[in-house]
This record gives sequence, structure tokens and C-alpha cells, in this order.
Amino acid sequence: MIAIGGREWALLGAVIVATILFSVASPYFATAGNAGTIVRNSTELMLAGLGMTLLLAMGSIDVSIGILMGLAAIAVAHALLAAFAPPLALLVGPLAGAGLGLMTALVVVLGRVPAIVGTLGLLGIYRMGVFALLGGQWLSGLPVGLTELMSSRILGVPLSVFVIAFAYLLVWLALRRTPYGPQLLSIGNSEEKARLSGVPVTKIRIATFVISGALTGLAASFYVANYRNVEMAIGSTLALDAIAAVVLGGTSIMGGRCSLLGTALGVILLRILQNGLLLVGVPSLWQAVVTGGLLIGVLALELPASRMGEMKTKWMQR
Amino acid sequence: MRRLSRTAGTSRILLLLALLWVAVILLFAVLRPTMFSASTVTTILQFSTILALVSLGQCLVILAGGAGIDLSVGGMVSLSVVLAMMAVKAGMPPLLLPVACIVAGSLLGLLNGLLVTRLKILPLIATLGTLFVYSGLALALTGGAAQSGVPTWLLPWGRGMILSLPMPFLTLVVPVFAIAAVLLLHSAWGRWLFAMGFNERSARLVGIPVDRGRLLVYGLSGLLAGLAGLVSLAWLGSARPNIGQNLELESLTAVMLGGVAITGGIGGVGGVIAAVILLVTLKTGLLQLNVNTVWQVGIVGALLIAVLLIERLSKRWS
Repeated sequence: MIAIGGREWALLGAVIVATILFSVASPYFATAGNAGTIVRNSTELMLAGLGMTLLLAMGSIDVSIGILMGLAAIAVAHALLAAFAPPLALLVGPLAGAGLGLMTALVVVLGRVPAIVGTLGLLGIYRMGVFALLGGQWLSGLPVGLTELMSSRILGVPLSVFVIAFAYLLVWLALRRTPYGPQLLSIGNSEEKARLSGVPVTKIRIATFVISGALTGLAASFYVANYRNVEMAIGSTLALDAIAAVVLGGTSIMGGRCSLLGTALGVILLRILQNGLLLVGVPSLWQAVVTGGLLIGVLALELPASRMGEMKTKWMQR
Repeated sequence: MRRLSRTAGTSRILLLLALLWVAVILLFAVLRPTMFSASTVTTILQFSTILALVSLGQCLVILAGGAGIDLSVGGMVSLSVVLAMMAVKAGMPPLLLPVACIVAGSLLGLLNGLLVTRLKILPLIATLGTLFVYSGLALALTGGAAQSGVPTWLLPWGRGMILSLPMPFLTLVVPVFAIAAVLLLHSAWGRWLFAMGFNERSARLVGIPVDRGRLLVYGLSGLLAGLAGLVSLAWLGSARPNIGQNLELESLTAVMLGGVAITGGIGGVGGVIAAVILLVTLKTGLLQLNVNTVWQVGIVGALLIAVLLIERLSKRWS
């Protein structure tokens, strides 16, 4: 589940090779300032990707996480404007996210709407919600309290890094030390077999959507701390980035297999590629092309053809 | 026997859609009585054209089963118009513009088909990836700017009308849907499509070329997207790189609303065109009430989820 396998070593190698190549290609890449930028840009995706890892491992998906992060970010911003203490404001994100995740679970799990179609519909509804709440305006110039909290250093390391590490540790413990992990993966392998062998399938699926929502909501707190504004286009590529990073990390899109370390490395590699390409002069409009291409490229190279038939039909029953 | 039940189901859906349509019209009649005029009918049909063509492609892909879904339809519309206009600018005779749109669309669709049938990538992930690649390419190649230079001889077709019915609707949507309906119900390929969607294993056992059929429907979806692009060129007089935005959501909603089962094998094109007209009537009415387009996206999303919830619930009760 998190054992360091060939995939993780390969990703680490790719990260190193990409770093070397971009350092040679651009004098701005290998600087402390740019390293900070890459890390800061990775934080939201680290958390959203962690949630997406669980969803994909369960054989499900959520394409609405970007705008879900937007809604949670609005909640965090209003908490800050209402002069909440920064630690409290930090918690508003995951709470709002968990609520929205529960909403997704209602539609997808209890309503039995296929995840891809259900979350696509929710994407439209949530976007309307973001627009209604923002009224076409930017929420900007937010108080600095949360930003200061997240960048306050403990032993020289920003608090944000600790929070992300703690989230990964919690999820890892849940997967390895509680029945949740095996149950999640068995649903990913075959929902029917999991149900027959006594796995509380509905409960686990609802819980996973809520956990993913909470993690994406935590990402929203990071977003507000990083940028101190919320605008209409928030999170428009988060879902694609997360799916690409998770697939890159070796989690199977048909469920049953996941790697947390792979996801973290996938996020770093993706952000290094995006940042490096920008620095060598590729316009930012190409970013979606590169990410989408990467996603398809990885899948084209790795998918074992044999497992497809049964898996395909399974997808539409979720 | 199947055929009988299918037509019976279709007529029930058509009746339901007609009732809904009347309800929508009555609603707008109360809210804004001035909306009713011959020009509104023209507007609705004009706006329906692009969505109708794209939804037909979506319908074929979903009918063919195997968890088939085409999220990239909007990207294909955008990219095919951009590619065709770039070809004209690069010296291709403008007379070939319509052919270029169709060929570009078909090739993009076939690429989707190859990813799904040959590389065995899950349709929803493959077309999610190509959605971002195609729409990203359309933006990146043009820098986001609309491309002018559409030959003027195209405009009279795109904007003209016969008896206040728009030309593209009469000359493209009506014949294309008629051909599709006849082929689906009375040709071998049409029956095979239903068979492979209804039960893939038995379709393979009786020797239906399932993979070739699916490759074909993804190609057709691309071809229809190219045609939709052509309509947008002739209508708007320029190639807009974002013309296909939100089409994946709207076409899915139209297809689901039109009574096509998400698992494939059940449905028909009559319901789809009725659903398209219903959707566009709703959108046109909202536009006339000065409702922001973001609200329209939200309402379409809500409609999509509502349709699927109702379908699941009615299945449980019957």
C-alpha cells in the first residue's frame, strides 16, 4: 500500500531527471525562491490528490473537487473576515469540505447515480453556488492571520508541511492499521464480492466521499492562506491535476490498488513539469494540454488489457 | 419483443418530455409574456443545432455500452473549428473548410476510439484527458482569441432561414437525425449497437464486432462534433476556441433526459432531440429573464442529477 516499489523509485528518478533538465534549460529554475514556489503550489494538490487516491482506489471518481475547494475557500475567507482565530479558520475548510463531500455521497452512493455523471452535475451546481456567493466579485485582501499561521516555522519547517505530513500519516494509519484500508480496496476490486463478504459497502463509500471532501476542504484553507483571495476561476484544473498525479503515482483507476507515496511524488513531478515548462517559455495555456497528455500517456503505457472487460461494466453501476 | 418494448418506452418518454416542455413554456408565459413570437422559435432552433449534433454523438457512444461516455465533445468542437481555420490561413482553399471541419472532428473522435478500444483505457478517463488536451490545444494554438476570416459564402447558410426555420437546423439536424433513426432501427449496425450495449458478452459470442463498432461510434461522435463546429463557423462568422465549453455537461443531460440508459443498449434518438429542444427552451427563457449563464450551468447540472435519481427510483418501484 505504501511500500516503496518500482513505481515510486521510477517517479523519484523522474523528479531528479526533470530537475536536472530544467536546471540546465533555465537559470531561474534551480533557485531557492523557485523551489519555494513549487512547494507552495503543490500544497493544495497534495491534499486534494490524497482524497482522489482514496476515491480512485475505491473505483470511484469525483470531477467536482476543484469547485468544491472553491466553495470551501469562500467559507474560510468569510471566517477570516468575521475575525475567527486563524486555527479556527483553518478548521472551517475541512468542515465545509466534509459537508460538501456528504452531499456528493448522497447523490452518488445513496442516489446510485454513476460517479462521473453525478459529480459532473454537481460541478455545474457548485459553480453556480460559487458565482452566487461571490456575485462576480473577487474576495481579496483577506486578513493575514491564516497566512502567518501556516508559514510560522517549527524547527525551521513551515507549519503547512507538518499539516500535510500529518494528513498523510492519518490516512496511512487508517489504511494500514484499521479495517478501513482492506475494505476500501476490496470494494475497489469488486463491489459485489466485497458486499457478499460482509464489507459495509455503503458506509465505506459514504465515508470515503466525506474524507475526500474534508481533505479538499483542507486544501481550500491552504489556498486561502497562500493567495489571500478567492475568484470565480478557482480550482478549474484541480480535478484533472489530481487525477493525473494520482494515476502517475501508480494508483489503479479501476480500483483495488493505491500508493500514497506515489501520489505525493506524482504531485511533485507534475508541479515541477508545469513550473519548469513555464520557465523555459511554454505559455501557461499549454498546461492543460501537457497534463491531459501525461494522464493519457501514462495509462496507455501501463494498463494491463486483460482486466478490462469485467471492470468496465462495474464502473457504470456506481 | 425487445423492439416493441423499446418503442413503447420511447413514446412514454416523448410524452413526458412534451409535458415538461409545455410546463416550461407556461412558466415563461407567466414570467414574461412578451417572449412568445416566431423569432423565439427561430432562436431556440438556431441554438439547438450545435447541442443536437453533439448530443447525437454522445447518444451513440453511450448506447454502444462498455461504460462508453464522451466527455471530450466540447473539446472536439473547439479544436476542429480552430484547426480548420488554421488550415485556411495556411493556404488551404476556403472551399474545403466544411470538409476540413468534418475530417478534423472525425480524426479527433477516432483517436478517442483508439484509446478506448485498442489501449483499453476507461472511456471516462480517456475522454476526460482528451477533453483537456483538445480544449487546451484550441486555446493554446489561438492564444484564446477568436479567429476571423470565415468565407462569406458560408454565412447565408449559417444565418438564413426557410419559413422562419433556421437553415442549419433544417438542412443538417433534421436529415442527420432521420438517418440515425433509420440506421439504428433498420440496419444491422444499428441493431448490433443496441446488442453490444445491452449485453456485451452475448454480443461478442454471436460474433458482433464490438470493438470495431465502438471505434466507429467514437469516430461518429467526432464527426458530429466537427459538423457542430461548422455550424458555429457559419453562424458566428468566426472560429471561437471556447465554443465547446460546457457541451459535455449539456449533451450528457440531453441524452439522459432523452431516456438513454447510462449503461447502454436502451434508448433512441427521438428522445434525444426532444430533450435538446426542451433544454434549449429552458436556457433561452432564462436568457430572456436576464439570468446569468452560470446559473444556466447550475440548472442543467441539477436537471442531470434529478433525471438520474428519478430513473433509479422508478426502477426500484417498478
